[in-house]
Amino acid sequence: MEAPPVTMMPVTGGTINMMEYLLQGSVLDHSLESLIHRLRGLCDNMEPETFLDHEMVFLLKGQQASPFVLRARRSMDRTGAPWHLRYLGQPEMGDKNRHALVRNCVDIATSENLTDFLMEMGFRMDHEFVAKGHLFRKGIMKIMVYKIFRILVPGNTDSTEALSLSYLVELSVVAPAGQDMVSDDMRNFAEQLKPLVHLEKIDPKRLM
Amino acid sequence: MQTFYHALLPRSSLSCGSLEGEVASREEKQLEASLDALLSQAADLKNSLGSFIYKLENEYDRLTWPSVLDSFALLSGQLNTLNKVLKHEKTPLFRNQVIIPLVLSPDRDEDLMRQTEGRVPVFSHEVVPDHLRTKPDPEVEEQEKQLTTDAARIGADAAQKQIQSLNKMCSNLLEKISKEERESESGGLRQNKQTFNPADTNALVAAVAFGKGLSNWRPSGSSGPGQPGQPGAGTILAGASGLQQVQMTGASNQQQSMLSGVQMAQAGQPGKMPSGIKTNIKSASMHPYQR
Repeated sequence: MEAPPVTMMPVTGGTINMMEYLLQGSVLDHSLESLIHRLRGLCDNMEPETFLDHEMVFLLKGQQASPFVLRARRSMDRTGAPWHLRYLGQPEMGDKNRHALVRNCVDIATSENLTDFLMEMGFRMDHEFVAKGHLFRKGIMKIMVYKIFRILVPGNTDSTEALSLSYLVELSVVAPAGQDMVSDDMRNFAEQLKPLVHLEKIDPKRLM
Repeated sequence: MQTFYHALLPRSSLSCGSLEGEVASREEKQLEASLDALLSQAADLKNSLGSFIYKLENEYDRLTWPSVLDSFALLSGQLNTLNKVLKHEKTPLFRNQVIIPLVLSPDRDEDLMRQTEGRVPVFSHEVVPDHLRTKPDPEVEEQEKQLTTDAARIGADAAQKQIQSLNKMCSNLLEKISKEERESESGGLRQNKQTFNPADTNALVAAVAFGKGLSNWRPSGSSGPGQPGQPGAGTILAGASGLQQVQMTGASNQQQSMLSGVQMAQAGQPGKMPSGIKTNIKSASMHPYQR
């Protein structure tokens, strides 16, 4: 008798379930320089990278109570960069030992007609904002320090005003599901930013 | 790491006769890999120490405390990674390795110069005792022996009592210091040095997570079924809601109902939605695919 094939399941394609591990904090404007300085020392040695992104959040309201949320992001300072479509699931709560917020994450690069496509599919834009800041990397960890700008006239990304006097600091890792030691590494890194920024897992449902 | 003047012998191979060929080569590979990692970590550490010293010596009049703290944080981070590399499970026990010099010569060696960045020009009788030593100086060794005999002489119970009293004194001192700091005027200075605001953190996280505070935010309970929102049309302008209510009373046909549907979304905020217009909107936009 022949040996059965390596996988008994039908091969249907699909992707590995990726999870995003997230820690967030903020830093006031006047302490931004110290934070950037420290991050430049701690993180991988690369040219300091700044970004200016416009993010739009689309909702699809179905029969279920909770709408389906997709985030579309485009770069305003890099011409020719693809648009970025992202799905973020509900955060997995409950495990007190896990030091970071964990949620399912699907990232796709798309062409420029993303908004038209989403509109035709029935999505409606819920809100949008402009994010401007700095990007650092350390191994698989990504650290973003950015300021959120509210868009005053819908669709016009030139008329913006800052949402607050602070920069949002996010430490995130996108890794396959089940790798919980990633959150330990993130916590160790967060310790090194301690007196300047307090990075912690913040449950967005608490802030509704 | 090349071994030319000295040999790195695993202690185990001195005692037992022959090792399995593959086990030995696997261990060798592990050894080489971990030595490479250690070497790169040590080089990074050396570089950051060098730059810190340079900063202290040359820029001491312009130096600020955050900059010094950054250098310290960098050094501590690198020491951490160095420790992690040493503790890594794939690192063999270096304690089991012995380094013995094979050839000593008073001639200048260019290869060695290159490898040590010009610090060690000659592998000779003067250099080897310093670089390959594993025991401390005789005086230091004497002092250490003295200390260990003293410690052994005291006895376990007395030692424990001394440890406890030391801990208690330290915690008392810490409490006194923190109380003093809180009450003194430097507490007022601390306000200036606050580098983050937790309320801001919450506001920013809420903005990114579900758009709180951004122009198109609607509270989750109030949205009606299938609103025909044009892109970006959901701006809530508090002053204009009165105007929109006036327009709503005249709405009857499809076109106008689409428009007032959008405005109704805004006026829906305070919860006043006339039902006639609502049914219009329902029929117009319930099924976005069936036009």
